[in-house]
Amino acid sequence: MSTGQVIKRAKYKASVKDPGTPGVLKLTEEKFVFRPNDPTSNKKLEVEFKLIQSHKHTKEGSNKPPWLNLVHSQGSYIFELESFPDLNVCRELVGIALALNKSGEAPPAISEEQLSPAEMALRIKLLQEDSKLQKLHKELVASGKLTESEFWATRKKLLDKDESRKLKQQIGFKNSMIFDTKPMSDGRTNQVKFSLTPEIKNQIFALKPAVHQAFLKFVPSKMTEKDFWNKYFRAEYLHSTKNAVAAAAEAAEDEDLAVFLKDDEILEKEARKKVRRVDPTLDMEADQGDDYTHLPDHGIFRDGSKEVSEAQNQLYRRTLLQDLNRQGAVVLEGRNLDTETEHLKSVAEVLARTRQAESDVDIEQERRNRLSRMTQIEDLQAQDDNHFTPLCIKDPREYFDSQQANAVKTLDDSQAGMDQSRCNLSSEEAYGSLRASISKIKTMGLSDPLVDPEIALKVHTGLTKNISSTKYHLGKNSKESVLDILPNTTKDQLLDHWVCSQELLRHFWSSYPITTPNLNTKVSRLKDSISQMYSKLEEIKVTARSDLRHQLSLIVHPMQQVLDAALLHYDADKRKRNAKGQKPNGYV
Amino acid sequence: MPEVRIIAKNFMDMVASMPAMKLDKLYDNGFICEAILRSLPPLGKKYVLQMLHIDVQVTAKSMEEWVLPDGISKQKVAIDRLVQLRVFIETVDRKNEKSYKLNPTFQRSLQKLLVNGGTLPREPMPSNITVRLPGLEDLEAYALEQWECFLLQLISSNQVERPSNISSSLMKVFQRRLMSQRDREPPRLTESGFQFLLMDTNAQLWYIIREYISNSEARGVDAAELISFLLELSFHVIGEAYNINTLTDFQRNIIKDLADLGLVKLQQGRKESWFIPTKLATNLSVSLADSSSRKEGFVVVETNFRVYAYSTSKLHCEILRLFSRYATKHLLNVEYQLPNLIVGAITKESLYNAFENGITSDQIISFLQQNAHPRVAERIPSVPENVTDQIRLWESDLNRVEMTEAYYYDEFPSRDVFEAACDCAREWNGLLWEDSKKMHMVVKTEVHTHVRDYLRRQK
Amino acid sequence: MALGLGSTGARTYLYAELVEIGEIATRDDVSLLVVSLDTNPFFWSTFSLSFSDFISHVLAFLNSILLLSQLNQVVVIATGCNSCAYIYDSSVDSSHGSDTSGMPALYSNLLRKLEEFVARDEQLGKAQMQGATASSLLSGSLSMALCYIQRVFRSGPLHPQPRILCLQGSPDGPEQYVAIMNSIFSAQRSTVPIDSCYIGSNNSAFLQQASYITGGIYYRPPQLDGLFQYLSMVFATDLHSRAFLRLPKSVGVDFRASCFCHKQTIDMGYVCSVCLSIFCEHHQKCSTCGKYIPKFCPAYRGDKHNGNALG
Repeated sequence: MSTGQVIKRAKYKASVKDPGTPGVLKLTEEKFVFRPNDPTSNKKLEVEFKLIQSHKHTKEGSNKPPWLNLVHSQGSYIFELESFPDLNVCRELVGIALALNKSGEAPPAISEEQLSPAEMALRIKLLQEDSKLQKLHKELVASGKLTESEFWATRKKLLDKDESRKLKQQIGFKNSMIFDTKPMSDGRTNQVKFSLTPEIKNQIFALKPAVHQAFLKFVPSKMTEKDFWNKYFRAEYLHSTKNAVAAAAEAAEDEDLAVFLKDDEILEKEARKKVRRVDPTLDMEADQGDDYTHLPDHGIFRDGSKEVSEAQNQLYRRTLLQDLNRQGAVVLEGRNLDTETEHLKSVAEVLARTRQAESDVDIEQERRNRLSRMTQIEDLQAQDDNHFTPLCIKDPREYFDSQQANAVKTLDDSQAGMDQSRCNLSSEEAYGSLRASISKIKTMGLSDPLVDPEIALKVHTGLTKNISSTKYHLGKNSKESVLDILPNTTKDQLLDHWVCSQELLRHFWSSYPITTPNLNTKVSRLKDSISQMYSKLEEIKVTARSDLRHQLSLIVHPMQQVLDAALLHYDADKRKRNAKGQKPNGYV
Repeated sequence: MPEVRIIAKNFMDMVASMPAMKLDKLYDNGFICEAILRSLPPLGKKYVLQMLHIDVQVTAKSMEEWVLPDGISKQKVAIDRLVQLRVFIETVDRKNEKSYKLNPTFQRSLQKLLVNGGTLPREPMPSNITVRLPGLEDLEAYALEQWECFLLQLISSNQVERPSNISSSLMKVFQRRLMSQRDREPPRLTESGFQFLLMDTNAQLWYIIREYISNSEARGVDAAELISFLLELSFHVIGEAYNINTLTDFQRNIIKDLADLGLVKLQQGRKESWFIPTKLATNLSVSLADSSSRKEGFVVVETNFRVYAYSTSKLHCEILRLFSRYATKHLLNVEYQLPNLIVGAITKESLYNAFENGITSDQIISFLQQNAHPRVAERIPSVPENVTDQIRLWESDLNRVEMTEAYYYDEFPSRDVFEAACDCAREWNGLLWEDSKKMHMVVKTEVHTHVRDYLRRQK
Repeated sequence: MALGLGSTGARTYLYAELVEIGEIATRDDVSLLVVSLDTNPFFWSTFSLSFSDFISHVLAFLNSILLLSQLNQVVVIATGCNSCAYIYDSSVDSSHGSDTSGMPALYSNLLRKLEEFVARDEQLGKAQMQGATASSLLSGSLSMALCYIQRVFRSGPLHPQPRILCLQGSPDGPEQYVAIMNSIFSAQRSTVPIDSCYIGSNNSAFLQQASYITGGIYYRPPQLDGLFQYLSMVFATDLHSRAFLRLPKSVGVDFRASCFCHKQTIDMGYVCSVCLSIFCEHHQKCSTCGKYIPKFCPAYRGDKHNGNALG
């Protein structure tokens, strides 16, 4: 389809309100060029797709004109095309062009991902639905602390959920019987009219492989499409008038017509094919006698009238039951091709192709394979290749041995950091002193009183103070939360900052270890935002009312602590990376 | 209205009702402190522990800091209890703020107990002197047998083959509320008596001991000393022998009664005699009905209301038969009785009799549940639900009509008098019904005299 | 005149008693306390509080737990450097009163067992290689405590409410990380809270996590000569009462993990995508499950900042 170049009439609009400058839009895979009809106009454009970040467009069926919106870093170019088909052609090319330019450009990690308009719309919808999310988005993305894709990367779930919700449902065949396409008779003339739509034609093909085959065989060569359908409905009509004898007579006259009246053959073949697909160890021979295709109607009659059965015309008699089963089978199979393609001929071809895909030979082969698989003798078969490695813990002894060795080896480094001085006593001395303590208590008994009253009181008041200070901000139910005693503005501010800093921290920590230069820039950007957040919190603390200041600082303290931890880590990591000439694996 | 009286609900309430002087004396004994501590509600225990080493007042406010809003009522109960028992000494300062400290005697005793452990006033006797000491199981069997024997004697004196030494006057004391004696008739169980029989052993023991203590003053025995001895006894080791000579005369008198109740077993050696505490004795200080001490059950209730009681115990048979003898009908319609099995059915009639005797459905159900045969005891519920539900329904059937003693007035001379009389009855809150058309009214018996006087004055 | 069904005085009396007995007969506050006692000689010989002072406070605490209810049960597990052992079980040792040394039987029995344990532990230490570990086998004693509790759970429906108290002083042994975490999670599953009274100089990340995950109390007493007071005020609280009491809560919990390869406490590491083992550096293959780990797969190690104020 892609010709590499598309030229369409379009109006260029600098903004949505702009009435637009009429002109010609020329799109190639590298760039797009707009030439206004008025050669004096200064609205000439020649832009490379490299600079375009994404594109949007209006939807067909919405009350908006067909607009194509190419977003660049400073704004967007809006083109109003003449029609939606034009728009679609342009859109296709733009998509290809953007994809080409993106892949050739910077590594995909920083590049703005190519968004389909649907995704864009989804994001906008999500933001509109959740005011908190919108606020956060505004705070972080609009201010450049995070990029759009970074913001959404942590909310993939949210996007996925919506994606799956609006999964497109395939429209199946109608459940109504089209066998009974009723003729419209005007009563005056001896003529009947059948109205045919492509939909019905498709359905007929699906239901009646014989008709389908005939269509493929005759239509272009032997007769026109109209003639074909005329013949078909004649046969149908004869059939529906229950005039089996007449039908037989006509069939004898016209061999083409005969084709329509006996499609049992193909159906039976299919039925047999299906039977072969059943578990090969099942003996279907016994069921063959019950073949439903040979059964009479169980007394149910088409149109409620009794059908006269005549042995010699058996061939041309279709039972209602057969029709019903066939209809059911087709509806269940569903349609697996795009029926919107209007060209009937091509549809017919596609149908035929799909049906032929499984040739008899293949089926027989498959059947044999399956048979051998089901009846295989396990001992004689080669082991199936496992497509996955089962999870197993390696020899546990080995694991624990290595653990022990590691423990001893690394003890010294792990202890070094602690200010707990490693005892330089020998184990005899250590155990000796422990034993001495025990025997001391054994002979002396417990001191009485056990605890000095003053110390006991001190401990009591200390603990009580501890309890009452944590009473508010770690209170059991939210009702007594200290947040409620704060003025509303402060409370909102605090909550916003909290959400915001959580988001920042999530991004911050998830970008470690820094493996790409891109992550590096992201981290430094985040670090700046974090330190801004820190000072904002500090500000809240300072400006609070004096009576609330203590409680507030209790709340703010842990928030600042988590930010501190991030900042500390940033510095430490930076120092480490600068100092180390040799990078550890994975680090950049 | 039943008269309101202050009842000593359990052992510790009896302790609490003692004068301060005597209490402080009791608290000199570490074991009594321990028993008191164990009887406290959980929060009370915690407060005692945390105040144990503090010798100054601690404000109530600082204690409240620890309590969540849901626990305020529990804290109040705990503190009230502590103050009641004089374990906490309360002071109120000028700002009306309360503060507490631990009773110094109590504090000292408990501290000592923690550090040194408690010391009993007597040591177990060495095993070379004592002979034929019973094993723990024998001892338990002995205690139960003794207790059942006592109960039998309590409810039907003539049934006992081997009457205990409990004086008939003391027995009368125990029987006071449980049995009613009418002229020449054999004593009948009162409603309380029925309920008493349905209680578990521990609760029965509590009741008897309480009666024993409350009657002590009448017998010239010091209640405080008695309580102190009983508590002390409960800390003796089960199955160990203690020399009788270590007891005071006072205690020696009491121990004989206790032996009759099955709290201790007395044995006589060649030279010495000693007493062996049983499980009943050690359970005295336990404030809860220890379910592990519960004896094996014997009752199986089926969903078809049939009851099988596997028991050779005389008391069990007696309880069931007692119902039949005195209440004309009984808890069960006994269908047949084998040497170790009684089979009966719960019927509406049998239960109506039980209800009339003041037994509530809950008591019947809990009796059946508590005495469930081990085979069914594991099941939940041990008594089929349809049976328990039906028992409750039958009881509620009886409570549909509430009866009130009343007087009926009619033939009022005029409407004015009638209405005035109605108002008068209403004022006394005793008007039950009035028919203003026919000028009839019904008033409660309590206000009858008032209305009558009022009408007399009107004439 | 009809006679009412109203209660007589005597009946009210008896009924009131029944109610009262019913109220008291709660087993709510009956507890089973399993204590893990740190007997690391290297820690105690360098620590400011002497072991004899420590043990005397602990003994008094244990005794007071037993005083609170006849049905309370105390089990003590000694946590040494080379082994762990049950050194006291109140359900076995029922002798009340005191022996000749003028000390409650509880104390003398426990101390005797403790002495035996220390001697055995020393022997074991000699048998093994030199360079003894400075951390106690907390994982071992936690497992033993949980085993004991499981046995109690299976003994029948009327068991006391169990809880574990870790009296720990020596620093964490990162090499026990996996074992300790496993114990913690199994305690969590069986809803057994792990209380931690940590007397060492730095907070113990293991115990912080243990108490945090199992809903126990973590507290580091600042004043060690009043240890009994802390124990009785905070750790003596039975589970029933905790529902309506405020108890100390730790403000921040150190959630750092130890890597499986070098047993170091790490901030950041690599996680095997199959078995979730943690490594401090990149390996071709996971040493736990043998799964190949693709390169450039750094993992974020979880939310360290969980102790938030606003959540």
